[in-house]
Amino acid sequence: MSNNGKGAKALFEEVINQGLCTGCGACVTTCPYMVAYGGRIVVLDKCTIEEGDCYKHCPRTYTDMNAMSEKIFGVPYGDDEVGHAEDIFMARSKDTEIKEKAQDGGTVTTLLALALEEGIINAVVSTKMDEDKVARGHVARSREELLQCAGSSYEASFALEAYRAIPKESTEKLAVVGVGCEVEALSKIKIYTPKNSANPENIKLTVGLICGWALRPDSFHPYLKELCDPSQAVKFDIPHTPHYTFDVYTKTETKSVSLDDIRPYINSACQYCWDMTAEFSDISVGSAGSKFPGWNTVIIRTNVGADLMEAAKKRGVLETQALPEQRLAHLKTVALKRKKTALKNIVEKTGNKKDLLYVGGLPEGIADKLLED
Amino acid sequence: MASIAMDKPGATVLLMGNEAVARGAIEAGIGVAAAYPGSPTSEVLPTIASVAKEMNIHAEWSVNEKVAAEVAGAASFAGIRSLCIMKQNGANVAADFIVNANMTGIGEAGMVIFISDDPGGMTSNNEEDSRTITKWFDNPLLEASNAQEAKDMIQWAYEVSEAVNLMVFVRGVTRLSYTKGNVVLGELPEKREKKAHFPDLWDMYNPKKSKFTSGPFPVFHKPLHEKLEKAREIFETSTFNRYVGPEHPEVLIITCGACTSYSIEAVEELKAGDRVGVLRLGTTWPLPEKLVAKHLGTTKKVFFVEEMDPFVERSVMELAANLLPATCDLTFYGKRSGHLTPYNEQSTNLVINALMDILGITYQGRDVTYDREAKEAVTLVPSRPINMCAGCPHRATFWAIKRALKLDGRDGLVTGDIGCYSMAFAGPGFFQARTMHAMGSGAGVANGLGSLRQFGFDQPVLAVTGDSTFYHAVMPALVNGVYNNSNFILLILDNSATAMTGFQPHPGTGQLATGDPAPVVDMEAICRGMGAHVEVCDPFDLGETTETLLRMMKEDSGARVIIMRHMCQLVKVKRKIPSKYKMRVDPERCLGDTCGCDRLCTRIFGCPGLMWDTETGKAAIDEALCVGCGLCADICPADAIIREEVI
Repeated sequence: MSNNGKGAKALFEEVINQGLCTGCGACVTTCPYMVAYGGRIVVLDKCTIEEGDCYKHCPRTYTDMNAMSEKIFGVPYGDDEVGHAEDIFMARSKDTEIKEKAQDGGTVTTLLALALEEGIINAVVSTKMDEDKVARGHVARSREELLQCAGSSYEASFALEAYRAIPKESTEKLAVVGVGCEVEALSKIKIYTPKNSANPENIKLTVGLICGWALRPDSFHPYLKELCDPSQAVKFDIPHTPHYTFDVYTKTETKSVSLDDIRPYINSACQYCWDMTAEFSDISVGSAGSKFPGWNTVIIRTNVGADLMEAAKKRGVLETQALPEQRLAHLKTVALKRKKTALKNIVEKTGNKKDLLYVGGLPEGIADKLLED
Repeated sequence: MASIAMDKPGATVLLMGNEAVARGAIEAGIGVAAAYPGSPTSEVLPTIASVAKEMNIHAEWSVNEKVAAEVAGAASFAGIRSLCIMKQNGANVAADFIVNANMTGIGEAGMVIFISDDPGGMTSNNEEDSRTITKWFDNPLLEASNAQEAKDMIQWAYEVSEAVNLMVFVRGVTRLSYTKGNVVLGELPEKREKKAHFPDLWDMYNPKKSKFTSGPFPVFHKPLHEKLEKAREIFETSTFNRYVGPEHPEVLIITCGACTSYSIEAVEELKAGDRVGVLRLGTTWPLPEKLVAKHLGTTKKVFFVEEMDPFVERSVMELAANLLPATCDLTFYGKRSGHLTPYNEQSTNLVINALMDILGITYQGRDVTYDREAKEAVTLVPSRPINMCAGCPHRATFWAIKRALKLDGRDGLVTGDIGCYSMAFAGPGFFQARTMHAMGSGAGVANGLGSLRQFGFDQPVLAVTGDSTFYHAVMPALVNGVYNNSNFILLILDNSATAMTGFQPHPGTGQLATGDPAPVVDMEAICRGMGAHVEVCDPFDLGETTETLLRMMKEDSGARVIIMRHMCQLVKVKRKIPSKYKMRVDPERCLGDTCGCDRLCTRIFGCPGLMWDTETGKAAIDEALCVGCGLCADICPADAIIREEVI
């Protein structure tokens, strides 16, 4: 199986119409036939290209895990629950301005601000919420712009649209921030150089966000509008305590709804997600859980990630502490459970244990073992 | 020719059928001509308008055919001969007035309606046979077969009209209207002052002397049929009905109009002049029954050759039934027998094929290789699918519509209408129009769709109309939409012209049919006055236009209007407005047929000013056709099309 020789038609047949589109945005922007709009991919006209970047870069078409792992880590893809990891610990920002805006510990914004300051990168591909709190891909080129990108909308944001919009001629050194599916797409972009976007060699840093699921903007946003005036919201959160609410903070009040009310708006593609921890990044960052409010869990995966973390500690912009054994075990359990659930759901969809859709590109044995358990 | 009003009786000039009609009306001394543009008749009114001043004629483009008929009717009421001109479907629009005017009768001065049908639908979206509706109206009907006859027949039609006190129809077809032929000019009318006065007559029991008010009185209807009988009597001896052939033909062709030539040619070509006679009827309704009955008695086989409906065929068969048993051994050939079809245009070839079967002869007109060679020759001609012109603002409008409807995502649709933008049903308008019927039907159908909320209908509806069509038939539909709170957006594609039929002025253009200045009837103010929310867009601002469409579709609140204002490119050329840009393609940037483009500009956008260079695999500008509008630069995904300002 290969992901060559297919184009937009196959992308729709195999991914979008199958409810597998994650909303990563890798297929749009430079394509005049497909656009991301209102939380969905819209086809404007029929494209006849038989072999298109849209299909190649989609994180839900066949994905050669070994090739990606070799390219990024220099080793084949393994069976670690959280992917290739050099170090795992907790961190939080010491920058008061960042802490104020951050979703949790502010680690991501702090690292990226530092990388910008140090000239490791010139631009950050991230997401930014607009007036109505619709998140879209955005390129930040300064600390101020970066701070505007802080916080999570919990909605699929087509973030890579912003990367695809950076012209081919660009020499900017880039950092890309994204959840698992977005980082997977980015890794495919690194393998199959896009024709019409920035050279992936310019991507100097990839920061992964540990992700549970994303909401579908096309259905969730109308619901949110019923709940509140999104332009007045300052933060969205799923607090660790009591852990079953979705909270919208406005300047004056907090609206809290049961997670059960939110679940219908979860992107159907998320049930087939294999990669909770954004395994193909340089550093993955998530929330450290209810016992450590204001802290992030950090997974260092590459030297690039390790060096940046060292610099941050040295500069005193971040502080770290060890991740308790119990917490690490929990992280691994949840990540493994995600893989098993994804496999189960995929097999249920295809009706065939040998047809594992995009994870068909796992090294032999990995999927079989998990399916047996 | 120098002028349609040249005063050279007896001179032979080459005239298009439509010009011959104009000349006939001028020779007949008309004082009023009124029309709405519609191919194949669009040239008649401008031809008259070109000499309107010197001939003291009021020539006007009316807003629609009904008003045109009323304007002409009023002239007749007031003693001025008048001509009304329309294409086949115009009769449907004018029908209500004509039916009622037939009850009151016209004035002392004659009124003629020249109507031209379009067999094969070369310039129409229907193939209506106007003769059937004329018969239904109860109007006398003449059919001209060439330019000379068109002129002569128009003149004679006034005499018939005045003799029977009814409007008289002269029917042409595309071939008559657009074919040029020699015409011997007649005398121009004496230049005496035409005095119009509305008569003050009142005689309840004498319809001829009544006021022009129709009523449900049998007293009006009975005389109408007496008038038709009178017309029939006149037609019996008309020299426009002629017979050529043997005394007792084996086959009698009964034909009329443009088919006269096809029939005569076919008989000549088959060298069957001794076996086949041709009765050509110039007066087809009411049927000159005595004349026809006489000819039916000379033959056993009757073959009808006429465009479209079996109109004469049915009349004659009805007569034959009346004449039984004298006609019992007649066999009829025509549309009913399948020898010809009631659709598509007739031709000499088709008549020959039918005659071969009827006469039981074979005929090889051309070399056996002709058909094959003709087919091969066709492949040498590049295919030219219908398209909007280079720089056409409609292309921009439909590009924005397509994008807005797709982004909106509720399967919104466009209800189409009649004009250049009718092409939106196909590639030039990106297949956006999903209905297309009569003038104004886009807005009317949108009214209906926009009223289906209670049945769960939630698709956005965009009705498109041209500026001329807006004045013609859309205004009532918009009033209806506002009044009944129907949910749709009317897009008026205001290109400052009646472009489809040849740039006739209309109430929004500030110009009369004669070229004189006129007040501009402000469509924006009209729509606002009707109570509709109105916005104005320049479709060349694709982004802004798309955003406006998206925003207004989301609003879902009654009948609203967007005026898409951008001048027709051909009007710009006529007014010598210079090109804004010189366009070029940067071959380095052009992605051609590869990922990220797939020939968007030449394959989808389709402006004829763009070319696909098969050798280089890149797009190119066809400098002969490009008008430098600059729009393609905005749709190129690779910024490879570059506009350079023309200094």
